Amino acid sequence: MKARRVKGLNPETQLDENARRIVGVRLAELRAFAPKAFDASEVETLHDMRIAAKRLRYVLEITSPAFGPAAMAAANTTKDLQDLLGEIHDCDVMLPRVRAHVKRLRAEDTERLRASAGGADDLSPKAARYAPNRLRYRGLEALHAYLSARRAVLFDRFVREWEALEARGFAAELEAGLSPAPPAPAAQPAEAPL
Amino acid sequence: MAKAAPIPGLDSDTRFGDAAAAAVEVRAGEVFAHSENVLDMSDIERVHDMRVATRRLRAALEVFATCFPKKEHRRVLKDVKALADALGERRDPDVAIEELTKVAKKLPKADAAGVASLAAEHRIEQEGGNEWLAAALERARDTGLEERLAQLAASARPVRAESDEAAG
Repeated sequence: MKARRVKGLNPETQLDENARRIVGVRLAELRAFAPKAFDASEVETLHDMRIAAKRLRYVLEITSPAFGPAAMAAANTTKDLQDLLGEIHDCDVMLPRVRAHVKRLRAEDTERLRASAGGADDLSPKAARYAPNRLRYRGLEALHAYLSARRAVLFDRFVREWEALEARGFAAELEAGLSPAPPAPAAQPAEAPL
Repeated sequence: MAKAAPIPGLDSDTRFGDAAAAAVEVRAGEVFAHSENVLDMSDIERVHDMRVATRRLRAALEVFATCFPKKEHRRVLKDVKALADALGERRDPDVAIEELTKVAKKLPKADAAGVASLAAEHRIEQEGGNEWLAAALERARDTGLEERLAQLAASARPVRAESDEAAG
């Protein structure tokens, strides 16, 4: 996923001014994924949202000296979100690997048993005992079930945590934390003694 | 995971270009500091630390892109990405093997064989990833990536007029 371009950056102006623009764009980018990412089957969207979280986290980490604790706290929150989406992504990567591995083992077994028939007209059921991978399927099925279940549990957690962040007003909280401090009130002239 | 080193001298009114120079200097230093023994497959944390450092460097290069000369920035970023990809080729199987081993340990012995066979497949990829990483490190050395990063960082600082130099 290509990052959105941030307009108006200027090397000659202050860090906080530029950082505010970048954080604003990266935050909007992250939040834009939210409605679609609530669909568990949206694997690509969840992956893109993780990348967006990573981008926001790193810009907050780098620029936190300009903003203080608000930026660092937001960076930590974003890191937690990124990690959670990362765990979901790991399941999404591993599940097709398990299926592909089982498919390969099945093909290997089929090929081996077929070869064992030689030129015969049929194959005895006894041949199934000699499938070289027959003891591997059970563990791989258990692994697949575990990964599918873990993915579902993590996804539910993601939805809950994202909703909690939105309910807390995470974005507004961050934007307020990065806003320039209001100018100090002008000093009042000292009252003349009565 | 290694914590990011603080970038000295940064505050809200730091010139953006100076912040860019400082950030790239510190983050590049972290990448090369973590490169020692990174090919040692008995300690997978080394690759992880270098990968995280590379991600942080890449982030700094992207955040501050506007502060650097376009052409050299593009070249350096491309090389940093290539290094990050190579680290990923090693790290991804590392993580997969670790996870599969954890699951296999919790399964009855008879069921663990299948999971172990998948881990074995990842071990082959891990070896390939390590070779890829070795080549990427060599390329980074040969192309002087560390020095080019230092030059790129310096280019974000304002050029002082010759008269200032003479007066100084």
